[in-house]
Amino acid sequence: MVKFYQHTFSFEHAWDNVTYAFWLRYPNPFASHVIGCDVIDRHVDPDTGVLRTTRLIHKQGVMPRWGRHLIKNADAYIVEESEVDPKTQTMVTRTKNLNHVRVMQVEETLTFTVHPENPKWTQVKTEARIVSEMRWGLTGRVENFGITKFMDNSVRARKGMAHILERLRHNAALAGTPVAAAATTGAPLDC
Amino acid sequence: MSSSIGEKCTKIKQEYDSCFNSWYSERFLKGDASPMCDDLFFKYKDCLLKTLEEKKLDTLLADARKENPFPNTSTSSSSSSSTESGKKE
Repeated sequence: MVKFYQHTFSFEHAWDNVTYAFWLRYPNPFASHVIGCDVIDRHVDPDTGVLRTTRLIHKQGVMPRWGRHLIKNADAYIVEESEVDPKTQTMVTRTKNLNHVRVMQVEETLTFTVHPENPKWTQVKTEARIVSEMRWGLTGRVENFGITKFMDNSVRARKGMAHILERLRHNAALAGTPVAAAATTGAPLDC
Repeated sequence: MSSSIGEKCTKIKQEYDSCFNSWYSERFLKGDASPMCDDLFFKYKDCLLKTLEEKKLDTLLADARKENPFPNTSTSSSSSSSTESGKKE
């Protein structure tokens, strides 16, 4: 069984700053379950000028009681592939879980573009696919849990990004520099 | 700052991250894509690859990355393996 989810929202921050905040989004107070984040591969495509990055994110989650026999180990690894095209001002990120895939596979795509109505804002389109191959009549329950959890997580991820963006804005205001240059002057931040 | 999955790589990772953050905001977004942090990245990656092997995450990751996440892009990453192209599930 497969479930789909789609959502569009905006950040009241410029595209440059939002894509920059994406790299800095861990740690943040809304993602305490993220315990590690690594860059596996990164290069700029010489033909297109697009920055391609692969990151591996290590999360530690809490399973509901009924799911604990399905997943003994609460460690989850997420692979995140992304492309940033500075010419078209488009960033696309795709994430999926690496383990526990038989219980549930969640694939999420985020597309960050300049807001069509306000060039100082950023529009983010979320598309997700949640698949469970569980037998024993649990599939529906797993997927419903998955979609609920996914929506909760999306809200938390947005809050986390908003938190980082505010911090960047604050640091920039203190230093009197443009937001995207504030990382070197403000509090340390990173992936 | 967030940690590396391999504890011993955290220091070099954070040095690399600081370099990347400056490069991304001060160069890349302004149209200059020339490399700036390669040395740090190679050192970091060297440490990380050992960790991934130790934690047996390397094969898991290679399997997941066989599928091209951006099928519209013709050029693919040098790290994708070509040896297993005949073995598809």
